[in-house]
Amino acid sequence: MTWISKAKLKSTLKAYLFLAPFLAVFIGLVVYPIGLGVKLSLYGQRGARMWYVGFDNYKRIFADSMFWDSFKIPLFLLLVQVPLMIFLATMIAFLYETRKGGGPVYRFIYYLPYTIPGIVSGLVWSYIFSDSMSPLSPLLSLFGLENIKLLTRGNVPGILLVIILWQFTGYTAFLVYSSLIAIPKEYSEAAQLDGAGLWQIAFRIKLPLLKGPMITLFIFNAIGAMQVFNEPWMLGNLVVLPLNYTPAMYIYNSAFSQGRFTYASAMGIILAVLTCSFSWYILRSAGRQILGRRH
Amino acid sequence: MIRSRRSYVVITVILVLLAVYFIFPFYWLTMGTTKNVSQLFQKSLLPGRPSHLMQNISGVFNYQGGVFLNWMANSFLYATVGAFVGVFVAALAGYAFRKYDFIGKRLLFIFIIAFAMVPGFATTLPIFMMFRDINLLDTRWAVLLPSFVNIFAVYMMVSYWNQVEDEVFDAAAIDGANDLTTFFKIGLPNVIPGFITLFLLAFVSSWNNFFLPLVVLNSRVRMPLILGITTITDPQGFPVYNLTLTASFFTILPLLIMFVSLQRYFKPQMYMR
Repeated sequence: MTWISKAKLKSTLKAYLFLAPFLAVFIGLVVYPIGLGVKLSLYGQRGARMWYVGFDNYKRIFADSMFWDSFKIPLFLLLVQVPLMIFLATMIAFLYETRKGGGPVYRFIYYLPYTIPGIVSGLVWSYIFSDSMSPLSPLLSLFGLENIKLLTRGNVPGILLVIILWQFTGYTAFLVYSSLIAIPKEYSEAAQLDGAGLWQIAFRIKLPLLKGPMITLFIFNAIGAMQVFNEPWMLGNLVVLPLNYTPAMYIYNSAFSQGRFTYASAMGIILAVLTCSFSWYILRSAGRQILGRRH
Repeated sequence: MIRSRRSYVVITVILVLLAVYFIFPFYWLTMGTTKNVSQLFQKSLLPGRPSHLMQNISGVFNYQGGVFLNWMANSFLYATVGAFVGVFVAALAGYAFRKYDFIGKRLLFIFIIAFAMVPGFATTLPIFMMFRDINLLDTRWAVLLPSFVNIFAVYMMVSYWNQVEDEVFDAAAIDGANDLTTFFKIGLPNVIPGFITLFLLAFVSSWNNFFLPLVVLNSRVRMPLILGITTITDPQGFPVYNLTLTASFFTILPLLIMFVSLQRYFKPQMYMR
């Protein structure tokens, strides 16, 4: 049996005094709401009346084809947008390296879209693709393509691709570039002496060293893809999109257009569990990094 | 030599083409602020002639008795107060993890970090129900309170505090400084650069947060810019494109000014959407 020393008790008390403000807001506005969300997800609801139903909501969600359909867009983004963006960003980062000082002007310009809120990007791009205002349609008519409707429901995934690549490619390239310049010069110098070319060094030597950051990037973007809301929400002002266009839109619309709060809560919990299991890898390494340092 | 010269040109062409893609929406938005609706419908890439910039600006500021100024003030309030409280509270928590050895330390840290990835969509709905029960819906607190929790800042603060040497704290102890003095006078100055970076990131993410105010607010006078600009319509309820574009321009202007002037503090992190 170990006795906790007086000194340790004292420092425990002090530590929790410093932690108190954070713990108060953290428990009140994150932990408790999630608990409440779990509880609500186990209730049936009609108007203001609620009653316990166990896992009924979950059973209905798994049988709800509208729920599964809402994953088409995240899946498309995950399989097309995320790999394409990471590929482009890596290429761009290699291009930065060919410039003096890493091409600071290009880096600055490419990064700018990241500082813009998703709602404004969605808004401006939706106007750029709209029938009435599109500056692209005079361009298309130069090639003999008159009266082409750009903003149709079928084109929305492609337009989302353009918007999201626009927002995040420069930022991602910046992150990849930061990892690239952290690689010791000796590696590429040794390869150069062996007669390797610029691109050979890039792909054979540097790319494998970027594995860690690449996995992290992929996971963060996968999470982002699953939660996409703002951009389709803004496009939805100019082209009719179904209530369940993305999981987040389906949750929002179930709760606030249809008043099915407990059903929406259950979907929120499923989305949270999916997200957390995606991010397991990052959390594990993040915890190790910080706690391993001291004590 | 000729070959590398050619590849230099090819790379420059690619970089410039990409720059056009990244700049174009900014250019088009800026041009849009000089046009009225019929000029927008002409689909030109040039500025509006005659310029309607002044009419658009006064149209935005006089819209519905000047509600745009409320949105602007709200955005500054939500972003400044939310970011400051969130990061300050995180600095206190980070200090506790750095300085003290306490019961439950490791477990608590893992518990906190485990919640970092929970999406807003899962918490916002129960928060809506909670706030409804305690009559906080459609108040400024409903937007402010959730922004006080900044788990990412706690994580970063722990790593900033870890970089502060033990000697700093030992010296303070020898001088007989109490714990609170040590935090404010001796510790905090050491983490100020990190504090500023986290404040700016939190400011931007709260300025850009659309979903939370969309769910918890009804009254236009309490909306932040990001939500307000999506509600601009004429009396018949149809969107007014020129005013919406001009209002969007003023929504991103503070962000662009901040980013350009404080660039050295915007260290990109793995911190997305």
